[in-house]
Amino acid sequence: MFRLAAKMTLARTGRLILTSLAVILGTAFLSGTFVFRDTINQTFDRLFADVFRDVNAYVRSTTFLELNFGGEQRAATPIEVLDTVRGVKGVTSATGDIQAFARVIGKDGEPLGSEGNGPPTFGGIATSDSAGLWSITEGRLPIGPNEVVLDSATADNGEFVVGDNVRVVAVRGTREFTLVGVASYGDISSPGGATFALFDQPTASEFLLQPGFVDAILIEGDDSVSDEVLARRIDAALPADLKLETLTGAEITAEVQGQIKDVLNIFSTFLIVFSYIALGIGSFVIYNVFSITAAQRQRENALLRAIGASKRQVSRALLVESTAMGIVGSVIGFGIGILLSQLLNALLKATGFEVPTQGLAIAPGSFINTLLAGVLVTVFAAWFPARRAGRVPPLAALRDTALDTAGSISRRVVIGLILVVAGGVAMVAAMNDAPIQVLGLGVLGVFSGILVLGPAIARPVALFIGIPVAAMRGASGVMARQNAARNPKRTSRTAAPVLLGVALVTAFTALAASIRAEVRDTFGDAFSGDIALTVDSQGFGGIPLSLTDRIAQLDGVAQATGVGFTSVRLVDPSQATSSTPAGADQRGVFVQTINPATITGLFDLGVTEGDLTTLGSDGLFVNAGRAESKGWEVGTRLKVIRIDGVEVDAVVRGLMSGDTSFANYVASREMFADAPSPIFDAFVYIKVADDAVFDTVRDRIAAISSDAGIGTLQTKDEFIDDQAAQINQILALIYGLLGLSIIIAIVGIVITLLLSVFERRREIGLLRAVGMTKSQVRTTVRWESVITSLLGAVSGVVLGIVMGIVVVAALSDESDIAFRLPINETLWIVFISFVLGVVAAVYPAWRATKVNVVEAIAAV
Amino acid sequence: MYGSGDSEVRALDGVDVSFEKGKFTAIMGPSGSGKSTLMHCIAGLDALTSGSVFIGDTDLSILNDKQLTELRREKIGFVFQAFNLIPTLNAYENITLPLTLGKKKGDSAWIDRVIDTISLRDRLDHRPSELSGGQQQRVAVARALASQPDIIFADEPTGNLDSKTGSEVLSFMKRAVTDLGQTIVMVTHDAVAASYADRIVFLADGRVAGEMFSPTAQKVLDYLKHLGE
Repeated sequence: MFRLAAKMTLARTGRLILTSLAVILGTAFLSGTFVFRDTINQTFDRLFADVFRDVNAYVRSTTFLELNFGGEQRAATPIEVLDTVRGVKGVTSATGDIQAFARVIGKDGEPLGSEGNGPPTFGGIATSDSAGLWSITEGRLPIGPNEVVLDSATADNGEFVVGDNVRVVAVRGTREFTLVGVASYGDISSPGGATFALFDQPTASEFLLQPGFVDAILIEGDDSVSDEVLARRIDAALPADLKLETLTGAEITAEVQGQIKDVLNIFSTFLIVFSYIALGIGSFVIYNVFSITAAQRQRENALLRAIGASKRQVSRALLVESTAMGIVGSVIGFGIGILLSQLLNALLKATGFEVPTQGLAIAPGSFINTLLAGVLVTVFAAWFPARRAGRVPPLAALRDTALDTAGSISRRVVIGLILVVAGGVAMVAAMNDAPIQVLGLGVLGVFSGILVLGPAIARPVALFIGIPVAAMRGASGVMARQNAARNPKRTSRTAAPVLLGVALVTAFTALAASIRAEVRDTFGDAFSGDIALTVDSQGFGGIPLSLTDRIAQLDGVAQATGVGFTSVRLVDPSQATSSTPAGADQRGVFVQTINPATITGLFDLGVTEGDLTTLGSDGLFVNAGRAESKGWEVGTRLKVIRIDGVEVDAVVRGLMSGDTSFANYVASREMFADAPSPIFDAFVYIKVADDAVFDTVRDRIAAISSDAGIGTLQTKDEFIDDQAAQINQILALIYGLLGLSIIIAIVGIVITLLLSVFERRREIGLLRAVGMTKSQVRTTVRWESVITSLLGAVSGVVLGIVMGIVVVAALSDESDIAFRLPINETLWIVFISFVLGVVAAVYPAWRATKVNVVEAIAAV
Repeated sequence: MYGSGDSEVRALDGVDVSFEKGKFTAIMGPSGSGKSTLMHCIAGLDALTSGSVFIGDTDLSILNDKQLTELRREKIGFVFQAFNLIPTLNAYENITLPLTLGKKKGDSAWIDRVIDTISLRDRLDHRPSELSGGQQQRVAVARALASQPDIIFADEPTGNLDSKTGSEVLSFMKRAVTDLGQTIVMVTHDAVAASYADRIVFLADGRVAGEMFSPTAQKVLDYLKHLGE
């Protein structure tokens, strides 16, 4: 039987390719993301191994904060430690290292490196010490407070040559330096597209961090002892009260490699999740193709049964075929995935997020994962069609037409409705405070219910959608409408991937629209200024506080206040027990820093209790919901541990609604005034004096901000739009990834149409014989495709809106978001589905016109 | 009319034949004699390698695909052995299909008359799967008649029917010629079916082997026996 199955498989290479196409696409995306991830990881592994090649030991502070979004922030190390370290036996050289915010201003006055989501912009130390991470490729090292060296990519992009003047923004403001050299990091021009401005150590410490401090110390040994021994010696020499630790070169290399991987893996995990969704949607296509081909081969299977094959043998033959297809498809898919990974890289490069990749990393694990996922999905999708094929009565060999046996419609309706209702109940429960997982289950229930119901509703809905088609496109339209409705199971299975994709897109769009509208409303109410200066530096640098104060003192500015962010660790002394050792939980929380003296009347933080002016250097305002869940109230004493390790005994001085604050905690900027790593403002809110000319004041502020080379100046409306639009970036990413699923859905329509055309070639031949023109044949196929695609789109939109309403309602417990229907976007989704239906039909329609009339009608 | 196949397999070789308007002509011949190919060629379904086909004054060999299609729609009717009807359309829609394809209303009095002749008025809203084999073939003949074509080609129209329903369909076709003035060319290898025709053209090995007027089944069988010797 196995040989027979193999023969039957190979006898139909065309169909094998068609079916494999769905497998190929699904696995290609998956392996593409795997290879992409591995290649980046390998590149960074090599890069850091190379950069830290001469580092045998590494000294840094033990005080650090784990940041919520990955990465960590560590306290600075005093420069005196360098002398201590240099005195340790076995140390040949030691040098300070700094990696802090600095932004290079281009010759056009615009900062280099994209503001916003681009790679970070750094400042650091250039040194002749061999332990240093940078090597000069042109010019010389910077000496003194007026000299800078740039990484070669930044120098190229900014068209800077040695001898040019370069302006750099950092913590201490904006300064002008002379470019004396160009450096490279390992053997690449710039790691990950980040920009680097490098100074000598005293300049770097003073300008980027705090005079007399560095981030860490890099040490090279004389190789007389192992790195472990050297690190132990250094550790022993370090003064205990400074809370420093020593790592070996291998340890810091591994850690840095791990850190960059953590960040990159968040991104690639996101990609991989969506690839799995795409593969899942692809499984629908595979399932559909198997169902159709099984139906078309009914006579063949019935003949096998008639001549004595058992049900199991027939089913197994199909499963063997599907396994073969899964293997072939996955292997081809893996190959295409490698190409896709290159494409992905090019795409990222084009969007400014350049990731250095060297060579290709093809891990055996990626191949095995892809193969396994591809084969499992294929066999799983073929399971039911295979069993159904086995149940074919031998007598069916005598029947003529392909029958897609439908199970009992009433049973289907009952099961489908039960699933939908159960899912609906779960969703309603989620609206009423049930945990968010219940919502997920509810969505799943409704989804599967709709899919079970699909065949039952496909016919009436397809007929309904087809009414205008039949009315407008004459005989072809009538037939397109009937064709779309003639096999409801097939139609609904073909439309299902479209339905899933469109439902997800619609739900996300509706959610985003609702959040946008909400943000717009609350910010519109909260912000009573006229102009906002914003900088999107991703928690890394920003607007120096001195700049904010300068703006506040400008002529014509009635009021200006800055808002920034920092991370701290928060300890509730009443909760801290002796069983949790200090430092066990290094997780930080976001604190919004404000200037209590200037914020009132300019930005409403939604204070519900207390007075912001009482914040002082030790006060906190807490989100009311957060405070309630923690059991805190005004007067509760909390311990704030700053990044530099300083503990502040803080008091809750008030509560706020949380709608317009960017973080759950608000503190005065005074709390961080003496910290070695200074805080920045991310926004400066400005109110123009009543008697001043708006444009004049705006120009004055612009002069200051562009002199500093930082920030974007926005009017109130622009600022509010910008805040509301932040969700768009996430939405764009989600759209892009769901695009994969849509591509697979289209391929599904193409395959189904091709198989339908093949199955109906006699019918097409007859139609051609009695006078249907080729263009009418194409019209028929095209509109059948459009009706199928719209069937998926319309039901998907309905489902997506319902899901959107439920999700928004579930979220509205925490913030009162009202559901908004994005009418334009929804219409666009339907229109795009329409176009996709037309596009999907192009090739099948062309194939349909190639049906040979004489052969078609002669075939019995 | 003249057609020739390629040099290797000559399906038709030097056939020169014409069909009279308002007559029922049968083409007979053993399997492989080229009778189906002949019909496909005259009906504009198959391309000729050389020679020409005229329907009225129209030379089919110089028409492109679109013109041929329109010609089939307007001037030619078809009845095939099996699978004559579009399964998604009901009987009435199938009958009027060539008209709707050409976006024409057609002569409703004529269509009424055709429908009455096939006596399936009460079944017009049935799908083909709900009709018997004989009923399906009658609908097929009605479809061929609906646009009042210059000529109707029937390829073994009774091949899949039992003799009783077969004769129903055949007498209906005959009535279409005698009462409605239509022209029918029928390919068959059944002597009884051929006996309904006014004239029979015999084909053998891609050539015209002879013809017979006012045939009866017995005369046809005798002739075929003679042809076989």
